[in-house]
Amino acid sequence: MKREGFLKSLLGAATLALLLWGGLPLYRHRHFDIPVVEGPGVTSVVRLSDFCPSLKGTMADTSVFILEGKEPGGKAILLGETHSNEPEGLLAALVFIENATVEKGTLYVIPFFNNSGSRNTRPGDGYPLYFEVPTDWGALKIRLGNRDASPLDQWPDPDVYIHYPERQLLSFIDVRNVNRTWPGRPNGPLMERVTFAAMEIMRREKVDVAVDMHGAETMFPVTNCIVAPEKSVKIATLAAMTVKAKEGFESHVEPSPAGFRGLSHREIGDHSGTLPFLLEAPIPFLDQPTGPKTTKLLLDGKDPFLLSLARGKKLFVPYDESGWPMDRRVGQHCSVVLEILHQFSKKFPDKAVIVRDVPRYADLVKNGVGHYFPNPGKVERKAIVLN
Amino acid sequence: MSWVMIAYYVISAFLLALLAWNFIRERKSPDNLVLYLLVMIPLILRLLRVK
Repeated sequence: MKREGFLKSLLGAATLALLLWGGLPLYRHRHFDIPVVEGPGVTSVVRLSDFCPSLKGTMADTSVFILEGKEPGGKAILLGETHSNEPEGLLAALVFIENATVEKGTLYVIPFFNNSGSRNTRPGDGYPLYFEVPTDWGALKIRLGNRDASPLDQWPDPDVYIHYPERQLLSFIDVRNVNRTWPGRPNGPLMERVTFAAMEIMRREKVDVAVDMHGAETMFPVTNCIVAPEKSVKIATLAAMTVKAKEGFESHVEPSPAGFRGLSHREIGDHSGTLPFLLEAPIPFLDQPTGPKTTKLLLDGKDPFLLSLARGKKLFVPYDESGWPMDRRVGQHCSVVLEILHQFSKKFPDKAVIVRDVPRYADLVKNGVGHYFPNPGKVERKAIVLN
Repeated sequence: MSWVMIAYYVISAFLLALLAWNFIRERKSPDNLVLYLLVMIPLILRLLRVK
């Protein structure tokens, strides 16, 4: 009896240790907040739940940064972390929030669009929980999320996701993928409420331009591009041609397929007056045939297996020993966003959105993205938003 | 929280209680003891809303 009690206690203690060892890092990751410094252009910060009250108190609620210009003009919205394992969108959004000043018009920025997904992980794929961006003052620690919302926040998944309102049958997992749940509804699953809130911003505030910033595999055909529906394609083409001619990088235009529902570049345009654009930058970290999914691979995009595949012409982007670093990916996003706004402002001068002080591709490649992040320890506490 | 989610947590708690009861009652097999504890881990993580 004494031996049995001892054995049970020993096994119980070992299980508890296992639980703490495995569970604590996941708990800390889910509750880890990233400091976002309000830059000189930020005039107010609201919450997504202000536009869809049923989001209040959920992990899907997130901050919306508003940068209102001195002069009235057009309005644009930027979305980062629609997929939280594609952090170039988040970093580009932070560059805008922490540096931009708006001369004319208004800019809305949602850096953690799928806030629940950014607090989720993919342990089966060996994802790191965090990565660090080197800056002039140290390292900015950022949690690496997952493509889909956490099942802790939205569950159960259906056998098949029936898209609202088109009733197209999509994969079950897409019910937690915020880029399949557009345009959303106020009483639907949590991710539909997230997209509904963003649609409400666009409809109520009469937003003219929406840019959704992503990363895509080098082996995926829709990569290194601007995805645009019919109504946005002229501006997208002009932006693509201008960045290629002036800044020397490729970002071609891909048409938004009309028959594939739920995506931002399709539904935003079909359900509001806003012109949608979706940006894809190549992210080797997401490709399947790579080495370990390390933070180094996430940041420098260098992988020997992809290099070998590139020699066999199996990739959809040029790829060499220099990889595809984060600074380059964020730089592409910043330049393409600025060029889309520029082309839109040229076409509709009365609805111009003029943004200053945002670094472009060459600046980010030269100085690194971290150079544009101010030290949260050196600014007033009230200028920091934890998200 | 939806009623399905609540039902899921109730079922998880019920299964956890069953496993704990079996763990306490087990007299002979150390293998079964380990098995009960291992099966409990995901249920505990879910109930604590960790994963």
